[in-house]
Amino acid sequence: MSADVTGVVVRLKLSLLRNGLRQSGGRRAAYAASAVLVLLFAALQLLGLILLRGNAHADTVVVLLVSVLALGWAVMPLFFPGGDETLDPTRLVMLPLRPRPLVRALLAASLVGIGPLFTLCLLTGSVISVARGGMAYVVGVIGVVLALLVCVALARAVAAANIRLLTSRRGRDLAVLSGLVIAVGAQVVNFGAQRLGSSGLGQLDPAADVLRWVPPASAIGAVESVSEGSYGVGVLQLALSTAALAVLIAVWSRHLTRLMTSPDGSTLQAVTEAAVRERTSTGLARLLPAGRTGTVMERSLRYVWRDPKTKAAWVTSLAIGLIVPLFNALQGTGSIYFACFAAGMLGIQMYNQFGQDTSAFWMVAMTISSPRDAYVELRGRALALLLITLPYAALVTVLTTALLGDWPKLPEVLGLSFALLGAMLATGAWTSARFPYSIPQDGYKNVAPGQTGLAWISIFGGMIAAALLCAPVIAVTIWLNVSEDGEAWSWLLLPVGSAYGATITWLGLRLAAPRTAARLPEILTAVSKG
Amino acid sequence: MTSAVSVRGLWKRFGQQVAVAGIDLELPAGKFIGLVGPNGAGKTTTLSMVTGLLRPDQGAVEVVGHDVWRDPVEVKARIGVLPEGLRLFERLTGRELLAYTGRLRGLPGAEVDKRATQLLDVLDLAGAQHKLVVDYSTGMRKKIGLAAALLHNPEVLFLDEPFEGVDPVSAQTIRGVLERYTASGATVVFSSHVMELVESLCDWVAVMAAGRIRAHGPLAEVRGQAASLQQAFLELVGANGRDAGSDLDWLGGGAR
Repeated sequence: MSADVTGVVVRLKLSLLRNGLRQSGGRRAAYAASAVLVLLFAALQLLGLILLRGNAHADTVVVLLVSVLALGWAVMPLFFPGGDETLDPTRLVMLPLRPRPLVRALLAASLVGIGPLFTLCLLTGSVISVARGGMAYVVGVIGVVLALLVCVALARAVAAANIRLLTSRRGRDLAVLSGLVIAVGAQVVNFGAQRLGSSGLGQLDPAADVLRWVPPASAIGAVESVSEGSYGVGVLQLALSTAALAVLIAVWSRHLTRLMTSPDGSTLQAVTEAAVRERTSTGLARLLPAGRTGTVMERSLRYVWRDPKTKAAWVTSLAIGLIVPLFNALQGTGSIYFACFAAGMLGIQMYNQFGQDTSAFWMVAMTISSPRDAYVELRGRALALLLITLPYAALVTVLTTALLGDWPKLPEVLGLSFALLGAMLATGAWTSARFPYSIPQDGYKNVAPGQTGLAWISIFGGMIAAALLCAPVIAVTIWLNVSEDGEAWSWLLLPVGSAYGATITWLGLRLAAPRTAARLPEILTAVSKG
Repeated sequence: MTSAVSVRGLWKRFGQQVAVAGIDLELPAGKFIGLVGPNGAGKTTTLSMVTGLLRPDQGAVEVVGHDVWRDPVEVKARIGVLPEGLRLFERLTGRELLAYTGRLRGLPGAEVDKRATQLLDVLDLAGAQHKLVVDYSTGMRKKIGLAAALLHNPEVLFLDEPFEGVDPVSAQTIRGVLERYTASGATVVFSSHVMELVESLCDWVAVMAAGRIRAHGPLAEVRGQAASLQQAFLELVGANGRDAGSDLDWLGGGAR
């Protein structure tokens, strides 16, 4: 019976993957591209690890790598709990499945995919990098399997433990924190890397000494121990990983049972939240311009506050936009030009405007009958964004300048920021019309399955285009900085940058509007997948 | 007789699947028109194409004499739509949603607020007007959707499954509003797979199955000699006399 369930679930995952790809050629290409990229990265890593063989610090690197990998698996479901909806146990609630076969089946299905394959490559590389002697390779095979299972079980256990929280509306609002975690995490990694750069790999040895006892790194640590002849230590390390796997599966199984036998958390919060909302109305509306512009701005701003997805995206952008320049300035490694980060991060919010509407975009589509309507719609959205972004970018720039004490540079950095913001708004408006994609409201993904490629093209293509569009202003900045009496004229960059930003935004909106008006049904189809 | 909607040679394919296979249809103005058919007949696809929310592969659609794709300015101002399976701006309250929709449609703010108040009253939503739409029940959502579709007083109203999942009380309210609306000379086109409902509401029907129109005309004409529309429909789509009894002999009480 249980073998049946396992087979069925694995096949389910494969067919869902296949069906997701079947829907469009673009999606297939995007998936293939990302797969190739991941595999290429995995292969490079494998190669790197093999080259590391014999290096004095190979064991340290390997143990740390596996630990980081495991951490990644643990954190992943917090940010993308819907990342694997085929494994969403709440969809199986109605089926008469016992926890034990279900856990086995879900675990097996979890092993299908690019992520596990990547992990497998990395683990294999790690073993090759440290194993010496036949016995070590035998232990290596066990270690790889064990470590992979621990990683996958860890992710599933964390996901199951969090799913109740994450399916409730309140819980979703908490996800706002995830942006902060990523931002702060990136800074910690950045800081760590700089320390490492200054004092070498040896500094990591004490950390590795601890981690080689922590599963799943201990499973790979065992390979190294066996290579050095410490069989007892190796067995102990393997046993630790096995025990961890057992505990994780037990925890997962318990959460799974509870999850599938208790009511959905999403329905419990509805009433209380509704009561809270009543207060947050109007007031603002009176300050906004009349007509479509004000109407669109008001709705956009309300969504920044009320829609958890939009709110999370905004908080992430606001946090990263503040943290990166400020932290770098505090560490003394900062450049005043990092202040442009705030404008860049917030400009991202202009991207995929219609995807943020979800399929409710039809309400907008029904009221756009000409490029003029589309222009006013897009302009309203850009204005709503500017209402928050302009003061914020200015504030971040001033704070960064204050920390670095480089006041003469303030005007030119502000000018650059505004030019960048304008370019982001312009490219954002255009990609919104040209490359719209769905943002699923249920679950935790920010991109509908199969549209990941589209989202990356939209965001990264747009960002590169925005950077290129800023080139003239950047060129002037550089020229003023290298030329002899340029300093005296650098204040000019503030009016020039602002004017440039405003002009390019206007041009972008002008270009995007006819495209939007002509592609309404196509945009609606693209944003209705979630 | 003038047509409210005129459809010629309308086709839509999704990959291998033909959703709508060449529809020609003239819908008379001032009638309560039902588009009936089983699930998957192509009703939603047809209504989406007629209202400009989905681009047809082929064919032309005119609403009150204006081409939907060539003349959207004229068409969009004259139609109201309540689609099925698409969201609303659910993080707005009911009242905010109406205010937003009305203003997007270019109506003066004071007029929008006046009409919204009346619609909320008539549709029994006044008590929930400050609740977020996301917290509404299915019936309430359909009603607020209907209110949003009626706000600009369209000439033709397209409703996709307006009674699906709606409780009897809300259904009666919706019915009352629609009957009053058509009595004034406006046209309602709505889709449903519930024959009894269509029979009791409509004076003109079009029967759809497998992407084609099987019959259309005044209700009495389509019903013909059959006892009910349901019966006539089953004969039209050829589903009558299919006896599943012998295949499911294991089903039911007694032996397992």
